[in-house]
Amino acid sequence: MPANQQTALLYGGAAAVRLLLFTAFPSLPNLLAGRVEVSTPVTSFKRLQEGLFLYTHNVSPYDGGVYHQAPLLLPLFSLLPNPSSHPFATNVVFTLVDLLSAYVLSQIAESGQSTVTRLFKSSRKDLRWSSLAVAAGFLFNPFTITTCIARSTSALTNLFILAAIAKACQGASLTFLLSLSFASYLTMHPLLLFPPLLILLYDALAQRSKSAPSPLAFTAFHILGLAVVIGALLSASAALTGSWDFLAATYGVRLLLPDLTPNVGLWWYFFTEMFDAFREFFLGVFWLHVASYMPGLTIRLRKQPLFVAATLTGIFAIFTPYPSIADAALYLSLVPLFRHLFPLMRYTFLALATILYATFLGPAFYHLWIYAGSGNANFFYAITLVWSLGLSIIVGDSLYAALRDELDVERPELRGKEVKRI
Amino acid sequence: MALISSLLALRRDARILKLPPYLSALLIIVGVAWLLVLPLNEYSRNTYVSENALLPGQVHTYFTGSEHNVFRAYRQEVAALPDLSIEERNNKLADLFRESDLKVAKQKYTYQVADTNISNENVYAVLQGPRADATEAIVLIAAWKNMADEVNYSGVALVLALARYFKRWSLWSKDIIFLIPGDSTSGPQAWVDAYHDGHDPRTIESLAIKSGALQGAVAVDYPAGPWGHRYDKLHIVYDGVNGQLPNLDLFNTAVSIASGQMGIGCTLQRMWKHSDTYEERLQTMLRGMLAQGLGHATGPHSSFIPYHVDAITLVTVGDGWHDEMSLGRTVESLFRSLNNLLEHLHQSFFFYLLLQANRFVSIGTYLPSAMLIAANFSIMAIALWVQSGRPAPPPNPTATKLVKKPLKKLKFDGRHYVEVPDEPKNEKEPSDSDKKEDPTENTTDTTPPVTAVSNNGSTALVPTASLQVTERALLLPLLFTLSTHFLGLLPLYAFNLTPAAELRPIFIVTANILTLLPLLTAWLLRFSFAPTPQQTTLIQSFSLLLLGMFLSALATLNFSLSFMVGVLCAPLSFVRERKGMVASGVWYAVLVLLNPVMVCQVACWVAGVGVEEVLLKASEGWAVWGLWTQVVVWGVWFPAWFAGSVVVALGFFPE
Repeated sequence: MPANQQTALLYGGAAAVRLLLFTAFPSLPNLLAGRVEVSTPVTSFKRLQEGLFLYTHNVSPYDGGVYHQAPLLLPLFSLLPNPSSHPFATNVVFTLVDLLSAYVLSQIAESGQSTVTRLFKSSRKDLRWSSLAVAAGFLFNPFTITTCIARSTSALTNLFILAAIAKACQGASLTFLLSLSFASYLTMHPLLLFPPLLILLYDALAQRSKSAPSPLAFTAFHILGLAVVIGALLSASAALTGSWDFLAATYGVRLLLPDLTPNVGLWWYFFTEMFDAFREFFLGVFWLHVASYMPGLTIRLRKQPLFVAATLTGIFAIFTPYPSIADAALYLSLVPLFRHLFPLMRYTFLALATILYATFLGPAFYHLWIYAGSGNANFFYAITLVWSLGLSIIVGDSLYAALRDELDVERPELRGKEVKRI
Repeated sequence: MALISSLLALRRDARILKLPPYLSALLIIVGVAWLLVLPLNEYSRNTYVSENALLPGQVHTYFTGSEHNVFRAYRQEVAALPDLSIEERNNKLADLFRESDLKVAKQKYTYQVADTNISNENVYAVLQGPRADATEAIVLIAAWKNMADEVNYSGVALVLALARYFKRWSLWSKDIIFLIPGDSTSGPQAWVDAYHDGHDPRTIESLAIKSGALQGAVAVDYPAGPWGHRYDKLHIVYDGVNGQLPNLDLFNTAVSIASGQMGIGCTLQRMWKHSDTYEERLQTMLRGMLAQGLGHATGPHSSFIPYHVDAITLVTVGDGWHDEMSLGRTVESLFRSLNNLLEHLHQSFFFYLLLQANRFVSIGTYLPSAMLIAANFSIMAIALWVQSGRPAPPPNPTATKLVKKPLKKLKFDGRHYVEVPDEPKNEKEPSDSDKKEDPTENTTDTTPPVTAVSNNGSTALVPTASLQVTERALLLPLLFTLSTHFLGLLPLYAFNLTPAAELRPIFIVTANILTLLPLLTAWLLRFSFAPTPQQTTLIQSFSLLLLGMFLSALATLNFSLSFMVGVLCAPLSFVRERKGMVASGVWYAVLVLLNPVMVCQVACWVAGVGVEEVLLKASEGWAVWGLWTQVVVWGVWFPAWFAGSVVVALGFFPE
């Protein structure tokens, strides 16, 4: 089968699966939109509908205290027909978002930055999956499909993050800045991806043009660019809603965690148990913890910036305040880019089995807690711990594999030898 | 550090792969044995009332004397009703409630089950508690017909008499709802669905009057006719739909009131005679597990439990000297206890196995049994995964040493790290012998091929073997496992949506198809995809992984079902693709006998019930009660069985 035909088949199939699920089970989107594993307070489609209702009735969408998403989503979604009566257009939009994400993901795979960067060439660089296979891994990942069916706005964030990575790989400064600004504007924490992606962009540009631009000017220019774009987005939002209140309702909620609805992350339970006096302190500690991975990884794995960015999305899926399976879907679809590291990973089966177990036990325990009343919050929290453990194993194991891969290049004589950390 | 390195050394040992089948078998045996020791005193506990607000049996009961005459009058009234139409009967019952000054409403419902209609009408009355604010309610139920399809004369009369009697008390701090459903299973389901707005308004009427959140429900089943019948014991039925159980406190309160205050013996799970021996305790527990595992409704109370409303049914059994008034007083005392509740029953256990009326096993004690059985599948899945990653034995090298120990050679070939000889320790033999062989292998007759790796001008020789990675061909096994799980949807739909008359033929057809389908699939697989041994191993690994995962998740929701399916699937851990027709034939025969349809057939034959009856009940469960035992059978058990059978059947078609 020619490649074009395969691509068409893949994208057509993925779109068909989604539209089929949307139409064959009309109650499925609402069911999934109500699941805590899929929709968090900051990504839920139901809350978006509430915000839309207020917005179209000329009330500030943040007045109800329900809507915590970016203001610019409102005019976008108000263009679509009402999703509760005519859901088809919305469904098509979310399907398209997924297809686009898969497309930019395949661009990342095609760039080859996962195995060969400017400063590093993996000795296993021939071991890789085709961009089509990587895209298929994203499109047919059950977590991605679930996110799409639930119409969670994380799908949009994922698209922008992937686009930012893809544009950085291609060395397209402007689109990179735009995508990353949109991602950061929507969910804030993608801002942490800026340093590794900036390095990636720099490497890509330097590789292409032979004469590397001055690092200092390059950094200053891009920081300025990012600030300008984000500033423009924020000003547009303020103009749209008529005040700066949206800052507290969106980024404030993400930062300060006032909504303790359960999710698959580690924060909610901890903060329900917390005495108020310690709240601010631990908020600081938790955020510091999330942010601290970025400099460490960026410095240590300076030669593989794409790997740093991918690992950071994994960190986000575990340690941010409102993670959902959409974040895990993003990370799990970036991992196949590093196919060459798989032989070095030691716990793949364990990690995948853990994630699978958590996927099934999570809803079971949530049912016991909320519906049957025979369990309690600890049941669900225990499973979110297992889920995070599974993801952390992948993150840690792939980090080990990446370091080992670097070592194999630096010290070929050590190849195949057991190494010890000292 | 020494421990870690010795563990790592163990990981490399080929013998470790021989262990899992024995470990699995051990887990299954321990899992079953675990269940068998539960009835012993050391592993079970006496029941106790945990919620101190209940104060069971602490109040004096006044349902005596002249109330007896009232009851007898109601019983005569009720005795005149069975010949009337549903409409007239319920009008009469509604009038009787109204005369006691209660608000009355009726609810018509129709369910379509296997192309036949179940339609009837519920009638209920609400007593507004004088001290209540209509936020909480308790329910007293007497279904018009009990589970055995007898008219519940005295039960209905007792509810009418108690309604009149309760109305005169000023101490109720919760509303009391008196419900007389048209039958024992679909009526309460329609009512409780409508109470929580979870009904389909096209076929089930919405409720005209409601009260607050339901805190508990007690059903009475006393089918004695107009001349009464003195009973011997109370049979307390507590199983809810899908194996959910009411809070143990409710059961305990009922037992403690009936036996402590009223002197009525209590029994459960149809154990009419229980002398508290090991065998009887075990039998009670197994009957309880069977009821829980099948998950069917066992009385009018069953439908309430999924809505987190704790409920039991009191059934009178045997010939004795207890009369209707003692049952009435039991219910009165039970309602006084429930009336005391400050919050929803939550103190005591929701997961338990009862051995007799005052002995139980809690979840912490019994859960490991099902988990061990589920773990056996996971262990085999991991073992098969590891096995699939080992390369096929290399073509026989000339070296005599390696011919003698082909397995040792394996370890060095398929590995990307070579064992580093550590400082010698008192470790296992294999690592010791490895070290001895290490130099010989690298220096003498069997020099492994080497590859030059150069970097920055420096070159290193690396054994080629360490560059090789055993690739697993995952696509075919993954697709196969996924499609078998979707295949289960077909029988699920077939059995739940066919008319009653065609259930039997469908059953026979399915039984035949299930016997032949694995053979056909194996044949197709062999000649169209030609799966390698590795892929067959992976198919089995994935299917066992999913089975283990489903069963351990299920064990937390419905322990008994998980246990039963686990035991019936146990052989799947040990089947392999065999060489030779006889071995394959024997294993295939074993698996055919253990397929879901065959097991259903045998179970019906042993229990002495018709297959059609069971299928019809299952169909009713699907349409009315929201039963998901079928989903487990066709979505968990069947795919695992099918994958295992196909693997065995591949042995019939050697490459």
